[in-house]
Amino acid sequence: MAVNVKGEGAEEASAVQRAAELLGHARLPLIGGLLTDIAGAEAALALAGKLGGVIDHAAGEALSKASRILRETGGCPASQGEVRNRADIVVLLGDAPLKRDPDLLEDLFPAETGLPRPGDAPRKLVVLGGGKVKSGSHVPVTSIALGKSDLPTLIAMLAAAVAGRRLTATTKDLGELVRLAERLRQAAFPVFVYCPSDLDEPVLDAVLDMVRQLCITTRASALPLPTPGNGDGVNLCSAWTCGLPVRTRFAQGLPEHDPWLYATERLVGSGEADALLWIDALEAEGAKPPRGVRTVVLAGNSGARNAAAEIVIEVACAGRDHDAALYLARISGIGMVTAATPRMAVPTVAETINRIAELVPRDLIPRDLVAGREARPC
Amino acid sequence: MLIRLKGGRVLDPVHAHDAVGDVLIENGRIVAAASNGRDADETYDVSGRIVMAGGVDIHSHIGGSNVTMARLLMPELPALAAKGGAPIAPTPAAWGAYATGIRYAEMGYTTVIEPAVIPTHAIEAQTELSRIPIIDVGGLVILGNDDFSLNLVRDGAGPTEIEDYVAWTLQHSKCLGVKVINAGGCAAFKFNARSFGLDDVVPAYGVTSRAILRALQRAVTGLGVPHPVHVHCNNLGLAGNIETAVATIEAAEGLPMHFAHIQFYGYGDEGPEGLSSAAPRLVEAIDAHKNISVDIGQVLFGQTTTLSGDILRQFDGRRAASPKKWEIDQGDGNGTGIVPYKYRAKNFANAVQWAIGLEIVLLASDLWRVLFSTDHPNGALFARYPEIIHLLMDRGERERWLERLPEAARQVCNLPGIARELTLSEIAIITRGGPARVLGLTDRGHLGAGAVGDVAVYNSQADKTAMFASADLVFKDGELVVRDGEVVNVTWGQAFQVAPDFDAAIERRLDRFYDRYYGVNTANFGVPGSIAARPDRFATVPCLN
Repeated sequence: MAVNVKGEGAEEASAVQRAAELLGHARLPLIGGLLTDIAGAEAALALAGKLGGVIDHAAGEALSKASRILRETGGCPASQGEVRNRADIVVLLGDAPLKRDPDLLEDLFPAETGLPRPGDAPRKLVVLGGGKVKSGSHVPVTSIALGKSDLPTLIAMLAAAVAGRRLTATTKDLGELVRLAERLRQAAFPVFVYCPSDLDEPVLDAVLDMVRQLCITTRASALPLPTPGNGDGVNLCSAWTCGLPVRTRFAQGLPEHDPWLYATERLVGSGEADALLWIDALEAEGAKPPRGVRTVVLAGNSGARNAAAEIVIEVACAGRDHDAALYLARISGIGMVTAATPRMAVPTVAETINRIAELVPRDLIPRDLVAGREARPC
Repeated sequence: MLIRLKGGRVLDPVHAHDAVGDVLIENGRIVAAASNGRDADETYDVSGRIVMAGGVDIHSHIGGSNVTMARLLMPELPALAAKGGAPIAPTPAAWGAYATGIRYAEMGYTTVIEPAVIPTHAIEAQTELSRIPIIDVGGLVILGNDDFSLNLVRDGAGPTEIEDYVAWTLQHSKCLGVKVINAGGCAAFKFNARSFGLDDVVPAYGVTSRAILRALQRAVTGLGVPHPVHVHCNNLGLAGNIETAVATIEAAEGLPMHFAHIQFYGYGDEGPEGLSSAAPRLVEAIDAHKNISVDIGQVLFGQTTTLSGDILRQFDGRRAASPKKWEIDQGDGNGTGIVPYKYRAKNFANAVQWAIGLEIVLLASDLWRVLFSTDHPNGALFARYPEIIHLLMDRGERERWLERLPEAARQVCNLPGIARELTLSEIAIITRGGPARVLGLTDRGHLGAGAVGDVAVYNSQADKTAMFASADLVFKDGELVVRDGEVVNVTWGQAFQVAPDFDAAIERRLDRFYDRYYGVNTANFGVPGSIAARPDRFATVPCLN
């Protein structure tokens, strides 16, 4: 298996040892990327706790934004299954959802009749501020073009119309929005589908406010599409492990979350992080580590194996080389993906991180950080 | 390895035992006498102290996608809860998986049941539970609002067919029993219903809550699952819902049924505020129906968050959110609602709720069927159990709390006139023997020969809050895990499940159902035995037939 230290081939055991030394002696080690399964995330969290380091995900910006909105205002999401079976109006916000998931319409509007749903209106798709969409003959599509406006403005105007504020319909776009707002109010179960990474916080707030407004008289919901790279799975794992989302630091006895302070790019750019463990071990979803810091890459795909890093260790790719727990859109939660052709010879991310953790010197561990408690002699 | 706990006051109500003596643990199990009469390898002098089996919690939300959603909504919960002087570390990590096991163990608890495993999210639930150290766990899987259940009931499926579905779900989720939450009510919420009673009908399906509950109860009984169907009734938290509680108790028709957090259903509608304690009527119904058991769902004043698969109720409750934020997650099946809440002593309704929970226990004639819980975190965080034990054991303590309540609340409850103080043996019944018996976990909750070596030793103190907050010694499977109230050894427990057989035909039907309606393979949400990466993680409790 491929292992690289400073561009030279090396024995795996020695590379793991070097990685442990690099991370163990860092002042502020950062574990980033985190394109891995739940077992890999758990191992990364435990290592971060042991090192007093930081954990972040390649999609940390989007995850932090969604976590902050949830923490500050709550939410009203639906599972994809509920939307697929029962939503009578689905509103896609912008082009991003279909770019993220080209199979989305097939998933949300299957040809066969779904489960019993409220209302008897035919199901409809609305694309707000996106291009032309083909949804198949069984679902009528309405596209509301951006025109001279932009998506945040369109969403804000729609939200205002839903809230019953008067819009002066001087242009065709406004008329369309007012009519859409009325249709949403009359619908049995309208749902907004979007990518959190694509919308700024005030816009996300406007979407959620619109849902809360509609909920007063009907059922309504939001379907944020999952973050790429198992971001939602990793974020959930972080929360059940230490009570906080990613971008959390395990130092000074307590886990501390700060979406700005503990962002990968900022920590590396400022030089505060002096070692990086970058994990890129999912199929088809690579992410490049930031430059300018001593880096260990756990590489599950060929792109990552070619990364310009001090140490590169080949690992198995979750879901392809071994069975893996990953966040799955279709169950809106963590599920198992079975490897078609397991490769047992290559170690998993979890196994590799656990080996690194074992080699980190014990005297670097003053506290049981994940639990946020003083460690006691056992 | 033979351990002798020497000279303590041994309280084992399962064997009607309350006497000074020794407890012996050999190779992880309680023994009557040392094999070959040999000397103990380790002896602990516990004279003057209280020795009980490890605590068994029948209903506490400690892991799963719903719990983690609440963690993300409310990371400040431990900090806010600690402000009231409650014994909770003010860090978000305090309600992470790791700290959960540590805190339970420190209080002498060794088995805890997670009562709301979402079938399609069972992998997350079982993963989270496996990261909780020391304690053993078991999950109850939610049925009764999912479309497959509703289809079966609507189509008049025979008992075997429903049993097959329940058995498949139990095996797939690796759970110990079945939970039914507002049967049909959460499905009706999807059709924009905002209230739902026992005889209301689910739109499009034409089935009543009563019919769904009956079908699932019969299936659980028919399969011989030791723990009866675990029921969260309709109309939780509404004034006058005593009628719902009594009607549902009667609807059990003499067959076993467990009622969760019954305090939330002990509400009359008398008095000037239209809310009063109906605890006496509830206790009368519990006494008259030997087939049922309840857990309390006691509330305590202070910050917490509610979290529930009763999405209809939570949607209504969102208006009372404190802090003002809520999450209504319209998931498959029941969905989940999370509404932060602060119970206040000066709030009339909260004060009445607090009194009703205590009244139900103190008026009960058969404590083996009236079990301890706060419905953590709904009524209070589990770390606050010791305060409730104190209230149950000490009338003076109750009077001190009662003084803080509004006079109007005292007028509509019975607590001021109740003199009963629970004994230590009775505490052992409602926190050990009773729950273990109702769960069908025959090897725990007592100290008889053959029982698991889960033992808690407490310093006898007048201040029962202090006494039960930190055990002097705790043994888990015969290993010392807590000394002087602090964990000294982190071990990893087991998860209990049942595994009743089913006809493979149901599997093929479910595969088609999930493929058509959700586009998923059922294998995507089946819990693999390897989930905890510990070979003996799951232990199967035999069914009764």
